[in-house]
Amino acid sequence: MTVDRRQRAHADGGRVVPNYAFTAGRTRSTAGTDMPIEALVTATDTGLAKAPGLPPESRAIVEASTVPQSLAEIGALLDVPIGVARVLVSDLAAEDHLAVHLPLVGPDGRPRRELLERLLDGLRAR
Amino acid sequence: MDSEPGDRRVSAGGTATREARDLLPLKILIAGGFGVGKTTLVAALSEVPPLSTEQQMTSLSDGVDDTSIVPEKTTTTVAMDFGRVTVDDSLVLYLFGTPGQSRFWFMWDELARGAVGAVVLVDLRRIDDSFAAIDYFENRGLPFVVALNSFPGTDGVDVDVVRDALAVPARCPIRYVDARDDASCTDVLITLVEHSLTRSA
Repeated sequence: MTVDRRQRAHADGGRVVPNYAFTAGRTRSTAGTDMPIEALVTATDTGLAKAPGLPPESRAIVEASTVPQSLAEIGALLDVPIGVARVLVSDLAAEDHLAVHLPLVGPDGRPRRELLERLLDGLRAR
Repeated sequence: MDSEPGDRRVSAGGTATREARDLLPLKILIAGGFGVGKTTLVAALSEVPPLSTEQQMTSLSDGVDDTSIVPEKTTTTVAMDFGRVTVDDSLVLYLFGTPGQSRFWFMWDELARGAVGAVVLVDLRRIDDSFAAIDYFENRGLPFVVALNSFPGTDGVDVDVVRDALAVPARCPIRYVDARDDASCTDVLITLVEHSLTRSA
């Protein structure tokens, strides 16, 4: 893993539209400040109904989220940094176009014991 | 929307999701020095080809420009490869390969928050590259296991020698792994989750 100064984007021909244009210049979302990179989103019925009329990047997020997608996957899908994906997802969630599924952590900030046990069962069954 | 205690699903409106059990994400960090095999391990476990995402991180510049006494903010873009493992009908595990350069570790608190734990991959020919990651997870109290990636010429190295050399605590498991092999990598994750459970209240 290396620091990538967007060499990949240049190799692909580069992004033409700057990231700030997607988010109207905002770098922070109001509701999504604690939305972690692994948070999952799913399209709502409202989102799917409204998708054809949404801006292209928002439409792409909603349509991809018929299968659960993490914030990281949204970032990869649009080829934008996580912070940009977080702003777009927060806006779509605020309009009820997406449902957001956050991690379940205990008071110590770590995953609940029952989740670790389910994870262990799932890995052993692989 | 009715909300059970502990249900952290967020939906501004009230459209119910269709899942019988609510979706829950989990994450494990895959750390280690450059070229140690992080992406290989993620690829071996992931059900989709590893994806890459970028995170912009802002930090104070470290005084290269000493003509100014005003600290200058610099933005660094860090690329991470990640993969996905569907665990059961509602649990989805994400594996994040994290850049190993020590100067970035202070920025990883956001990524480490809420993680199941971390796998620190070690190339026995360059074990110094793994110090920063081990030091970081030890300091943050995040459960981790050390996985020795098998490279030519590294067979038969005694685990206790590695434990001493890297100052790995006795409670922390050390395992050999073949980062190309799904079953071998799965064993390492199982070891990590078992270790994490022993440290869970």
